[in-house]
Amino acid sequence: MKKLYKVFRQGIIFENPLLMLMIGLCSAIAVTTNVSNGIGMGLAMTFVLFFSEVIVSLFRKLIPSIIRMPIFLIVIGAFTTIVDLIMKAYFPDLSKSMGVFIPLIVVNCIIMGRVEAFASKQSLGSAIADSLGMGLGYTWVLIGIAALRELFGNGTLAGIQVMPASYQPILFFVLPPGGFFVFSFFVAFNIWLKRRMENVERKKLEAREEAA
Amino acid sequence: MKKDMAKLGITLALFASVACACLAVVYAFTKENIEMQAEKQFNASMQELFPQANAFDKIQGFVSSDPNIKFETAYEVKNGTIPLGLAIKAVGPSYGGTATLLVAVDLHRSIAGVEVIELKDTPGLGMNASNPSYYVNKAKKTTFVGQFAGKFLTDPFEVKKDVVAITAATITSRSLTKIIKAAGDAAIAYMDQKMAVQTVDSNASQQQNTQQQGTQPNAGGK
Repeated sequence: MKKLYKVFRQGIIFENPLLMLMIGLCSAIAVTTNVSNGIGMGLAMTFVLFFSEVIVSLFRKLIPSIIRMPIFLIVIGAFTTIVDLIMKAYFPDLSKSMGVFIPLIVVNCIIMGRVEAFASKQSLGSAIADSLGMGLGYTWVLIGIAALRELFGNGTLAGIQVMPASYQPILFFVLPPGGFFVFSFFVAFNIWLKRRMENVERKKLEAREEAA
Repeated sequence: MKKDMAKLGITLALFASVACACLAVVYAFTKENIEMQAEKQFNASMQELFPQANAFDKIQGFVSSDPNIKFETAYEVKNGTIPLGLAIKAVGPSYGGTATLLVAVDLHRSIAGVEVIELKDTPGLGMNASNPSYYVNKAKKTTFVGQFAGKFLTDPFEVKKDVVAITAATITSRSLTKIIKAAGDAAIAYMDQKMAVQTVDSNASQQQNTQQQGTQPNAGGK
């Protein structure tokens, strides 16, 4: 159990797919212009990642390594299409506002990367923990970036006016350069957070050693 | 080696067929709902464009002046038997793929309203065309498509002149304006033709035919 928790935790800060591994950035910057898009994209990505990792991990011994890439793609593509269809049927507004980025989950490097580097070599439990951790890591960053960009670039949060009416939205934030700009702050923040957490852990370890 | 290849092919085919089967099930399962959503949305848009309307008759005979813009369906909107105007579902190219708009033209020969049915442009930029809380004119709270309401088709329909563009989405603004203009022109052409037909309604049907033939090239040329 402790091992699974450790795997799960990795994805959130220490090995955050966006901020540390730096993969899957295109979708992260493209859709994060408002919070609801961020939530939707994060959940959709997590769903695809979860099921792809589960399937690949379950069948990892049956997948010949020479053709593993096309098989991964088939699995990922199938789940992405399922998400796309479900969203069209039950969340038409969300599907409308994210448009082409849902089908593009197929080529999201996070999924390919985690399936190839992790799920194809690990047991089912670890794969589930990894997919949930990575999914959560992706989602919180997406929501965070989207919140800042929407707040400054549009004066709203999840479509609700937050800033006073006199506030003139800074358009820069909803444009792609603004995405990179906000993203860089998240990278810096995450590195700071990581160092801090490592320090705290080291101190704890030292304290324990001293006590012993 | 050859045996290996066959084995690999079979494995791959197996995975693909299982994936296909799963997709077929999900597709069949969601198909009804997707169609229902599309219809619901379409009816809601119609209601918004013509609040008093209660009957939509499918009509035909629209000619697009632009080869890239196609008209999927067109409706004559009525309240009982009183005609209110025309609604055209027009499809044309935009920045991120095809855009589908519902363009309504009333009997005064102005645009009654425009609804975005499908758009695949950049989220946060071009997609603002279908965002009901994105205003091109903040003081008057008009959306991008909202600004066309009440606009006469004799206007030039030029972005950045008489049409306010969406910030940072000039291509979307231009393409949508083009689609609206094309649909509006076709509607006017149809009205000209229909009204001409109506006035000669009491005359022989032969005359009707010549009238129709006479206006058809006009419609195409506009």
